[in-house]
Amino acid sequence: MALPVRRTVAALFRPTCSSLKNLEAVLDVRHPGPLYLPVRTKKRFFIPPAVGTKVDNQDNQEDPEAMARAAGIVFRQEYMERPINISSSAGVFDPYIPPEGDARLSSLSKEGLKQRTEQIRQTAASQLAIRKIKEHDPEFTTKGFAEKAQEIFIEAHNALTHFNKEQLHSLVTERCYPEMTRGNRYKTIRWRFVESLEPPKVVHARCPDMVSKGNLYGQVTVRMHSKQTLAVYDRFGRLMLGSEDQPKDVLEYLVLERHLVNPYGRWRLHGKIVPSWAPAKDPIIKTVMIPGPDLKPWEEFDAVGYQVPKPEAVQWNK
Amino acid sequence: MATAMTGRGMAFIRNVSGTLISRLQVLGGGPQQLSCLHTSSSLSSAKWEKKNRMMFPPQLPDEPRRPAEVYHCRRQIKYSKDKMWYLAKMIRGMSIDQAIAQLEFNDKKGAKIMKEVLLEAQEMAVRSHNVEYKSNLYLAESYTGKGTYLKRIRYHGRGMFGIMDKVYCHYFVKLVEGSPPKTEERTSLDQAKEYVQGLKNRTIIHGL
Repeated sequence: MALPVRRTVAALFRPTCSSLKNLEAVLDVRHPGPLYLPVRTKKRFFIPPAVGTKVDNQDNQEDPEAMARAAGIVFRQEYMERPINISSSAGVFDPYIPPEGDARLSSLSKEGLKQRTEQIRQTAASQLAIRKIKEHDPEFTTKGFAEKAQEIFIEAHNALTHFNKEQLHSLVTERCYPEMTRGNRYKTIRWRFVESLEPPKVVHARCPDMVSKGNLYGQVTVRMHSKQTLAVYDRFGRLMLGSEDQPKDVLEYLVLERHLVNPYGRWRLHGKIVPSWAPAKDPIIKTVMIPGPDLKPWEEFDAVGYQVPKPEAVQWNK
Repeated sequence: MATAMTGRGMAFIRNVSGTLISRLQVLGGGPQQLSCLHTSSSLSSAKWEKKNRMMFPPQLPDEPRRPAEVYHCRRQIKYSKDKMWYLAKMIRGMSIDQAIAQLEFNDKKGAKIMKEVLLEAQEMAVRSHNVEYKSNLYLAESYTGKGTYLKRIRYHGRGMFGIMDKVYCHYFVKLVEGSPPKTEERTSLDQAKEYVQGLKNRTIIHGL
């Protein structure tokens, strides 16, 4: 029964193959080769690799380099390099030391007048530096620059709230960028510049040259007194710091820098100077655990007489 | 031979040639033509780690405070996923202090590893996810998954061998800020009452 059926099927298929070939030749149809070729000797079982019997474990641990070389693995040459950025200097040189009680005294009182006269008669080094800056940048004026500095400040902080990386890089130097953005990746910042209480003023200027003699960088310190609102929200949208409705008076000393020798250099925010007499910042809306003193096993902790250590009041530039 | 063919034979040949051509075309075209195939096939996926990068928009002052969620996992633990499951089921829903205490005094090998994972997650929550109190966390999700196994030979008698699996597992945990939710205790009497009530609530349609 099977044999005659097979023969008829074979008989049917023989003409189909020839007719197919004829058809293909006529119509010029191309078929790609079949992907699955049945091979009689295909391996159908899986033997996992035996571990620990063939190769002696001792050899492996003694000389892994030789084993890797023998196996033919080539490692690329490792370069001990550290990238340096030339477009901004690494810090604030000869920082401006703001006089104590800067914002608290008004210009009408005697102490205030004395302070103002001292500030107006700037030191010789600042004048020299301003002259050098004017050589490279002829449009530099102390008054115009102060206004521009405030604009740069506002734009940079707006870019920070929207986290516009390209704009932020163009407004802020490479040294300042990580300080501004550290820890902010998963936080929402809402910042608003309400108004400026006093017109911004240039108080300090320096022109250090790095590495080689002619490589000039100009650093100018600008004093700003303004009202701002700041609110920081964490990853889940909960308020961490500040408030959106309550503006605060802020006295800031901004440092702007420009690579003078570079024709495409721009004045960018380089850092802030926080004076030693600055009032303490508002605490965050969270209770933080401060680690206690290190105790030996036999000692006990005396909570009554313990005072939380306070950081010392030192001027630092951010 | 080609000439002596019936009309039915010709139809059969046309069908066969049509299917052959279409099948070969499918083989040549590849999986891009078929839309029902899975396009991403990879053994290692790091979705659980990415859950920590979810950002929520700032909340309005009248909204209830959103509880913080911290996702943590450990991959390729040298332990069986079925044995690990017992511990994961035990601490599901507990507060973190209770869970750490239970795991500390459990004799299983996986308990020590799980405790390390929980402590790491707690530290992470306080440090980088703005969680205020480290005890104010509870375990919302805790489960295990299969890791990638290594295969070795296990020798039997008479030249027979078996393939031995060296088992690895992953452990996933999600901590949520707040006190653990209270699960209502349902006794068997309550369940029996509900069953009887269900029977009584039946309506007979098309009846007299």
